[in-house]
Amino acid sequence: MSVKPADYASSVPIAWCPGCGNFAILNSAKKALTELELPPERVVICTGIGQAPKLPHYMRVNTFNGLHGREVAAAIGIKLAANDLTVIVHAGEGGAYGEGGNHFLHAIRRNVDMTLVVHDNRYYALTKGQASPTTPLGTVTRIESDGVVIPPLNPLALAISQSCSFVGQGTTGRPDLLVPLLKAAIQHRGFSLVHILQSCPTWDRVHTPQFYRDHSDELQEDYDPYDREAALRQVLTPSERHPLGILYLDDRPVYDEQALEQIEHPLRQRTVNPDAALALLATFA
Amino acid sequence: MATQLVKGNTAVIIGALYAGCDSFFGYPITPASEILHEAAQKFPQAGRCMVQAESEEAAINMVFGAATTGRRAMTASSGPGISLKSEGISYLAGAQLPAVVVDIMRAGPGLGNIGPEQGDYNQVVKGGGHGNYRNIVLAPASVQEMCDLTMRAFELSQKWRMVAVVLADGVLGQMIEPLRFPEQSVAPETDTSWAVDGTAATRPNVVTSIFLDFDQQEAFNNQLQEKYAAVEAAEQDVECIRMEDADIALVAYGISARIAQGAVEAARAEGIRAGLFRPKTLFPFPKDALNAFVDQGGKQVICVEMSNGQMCDDVKLAIECRCPVHLVNRLGGNLVTEGAVLTALRETAKQI
Repeated sequence: MSVKPADYASSVPIAWCPGCGNFAILNSAKKALTELELPPERVVICTGIGQAPKLPHYMRVNTFNGLHGREVAAAIGIKLAANDLTVIVHAGEGGAYGEGGNHFLHAIRRNVDMTLVVHDNRYYALTKGQASPTTPLGTVTRIESDGVVIPPLNPLALAISQSCSFVGQGTTGRPDLLVPLLKAAIQHRGFSLVHILQSCPTWDRVHTPQFYRDHSDELQEDYDPYDREAALRQVLTPSERHPLGILYLDDRPVYDEQALEQIEHPLRQRTVNPDAALALLATFA
Repeated sequence: MATQLVKGNTAVIIGALYAGCDSFFGYPITPASEILHEAAQKFPQAGRCMVQAESEEAAINMVFGAATTGRRAMTASSGPGISLKSEGISYLAGAQLPAVVVDIMRAGPGLGNIGPEQGDYNQVVKGGGHGNYRNIVLAPASVQEMCDLTMRAFELSQKWRMVAVVLADGVLGQMIEPLRFPEQSVAPETDTSWAVDGTAATRPNVVTSIFLDFDQQEAFNNQLQEKYAAVEAAEQDVECIRMEDADIALVAYGISARIAQGAVEAARAEGIRAGLFRPKTLFPFPKDALNAFVDQGGKQVICVEMSNGQMCDDVKLAIECRCPVHLVNRLGGNLVTEGAVLTALRETAKQI
């Protein structure tokens, strides 16, 4: 194997709480990239602000650490300028679905070849335990002392309903399933959403790794991810159990392939030809 | 009146409750989150509305909507969040709506860090968003003033139909001091001359920031500038400490002023005639009082700030550079030290 786990190793001290689900995601992310034989210099991990966005700090990889909730938009810019690189976004559910909700919707539509990994721990952990877009109804937080009164977002149903090119779900309770899921998402051509149900030992004593092990099921082998109605049934049927695996696939046209078709790419390696612009002068007449 | 040990961010909400604020819209950000937490706890208990929005933009637009009805509305954040709110603040200014925004400044630009800074001065004092507008900007320097100036912000905001910003920093937000609770709470009345609250009385009112006709837009802009000139004439506020016979004025606001005050006392003990000039309003900047210092023989000015001379520029403008103006500053989340200010005072005193 040409790419070794050590290639992604970093000596930066980790600032996550002990027992944080992010450790499982970090390890899985490194393992997936290694197994895909992607060398770190060919990968960009793009993040915003929160606990999840610290992930690339703890890896030896190209890192873009931008604005809260804008990570997907920044990643689209990166991919269009450097479409030969593998672009992965790691965001919390606050950044991806709250602050960045609008960008999320349009990234699904645009279908740029990239992977959005959402670490959903159901809380704003960095700012100390406020409710997030996925905090369950009735949960008592330091803001919602009588319990959360607005229902949680269903990002999987939203993504599938909008024909998101790849929709998968994993959990830090089953790290064994995270590596193949991340690998499939990265390899998929188009916008891939990987929603990870993550434990937060500091703010959430309910959704432990054991809870997620006890309340999740791997999708059956005969499950057809191209069947949108079946996928919607999986994520819309009220249930205490979470399906794990690739929920939905849609081989839609990939935006960056179309947008860059007429252009010499990757843009970052292109030499700008001033004459081409000068030739346009006549057309302004 | 009760006196209690209170955190600066908590004092903001105490001030807001006493000022009759009806609604708080926020989004968490360090080091301002306690304002949201306190609002979440106390506003519903007092029958007021509080919403944790999905983003800072959502929060300021909720303020916009609530302010339209003539009720007192507020939000609070820190630098990165204030940048996001600037769009909404411009629209509030264009619609001449009162609202209160609290900025607990942290180090920037960009993500920066969560240490204290005063680098939002230009963004907040000069307006921040697009267009020819100003905000009233109040600068507390203690937990007491975090409460009192929040109350004052509501009063001035409503009086002038402008956004009033309470501009504090991470230290003021996080520190704990005794707070003497306000003497009286306010029951503000809806101003039916402009508000739109669904009653027959307010039916003819239109809240808008759009004037498609260029001359109309210009006339409206001129009207705004007249209002800002009136605010400059009426609302300048400053605290002067040992300024009566001072040769050197330390100009500082917020936590920097507390530090500068210590340096004034130390310099006086060495025979240096230093004084503290502490703006409590940054817009309007208290230029009349600063000019009086120069007119009465003041020789030098030292600006002490946790930013790159942003306030210092306004000081030079205020006195039209009629005496030397120096800058002592720190950036990046660091505080200026009393020792650094004292050193600057000694150096400056030699030039007199």
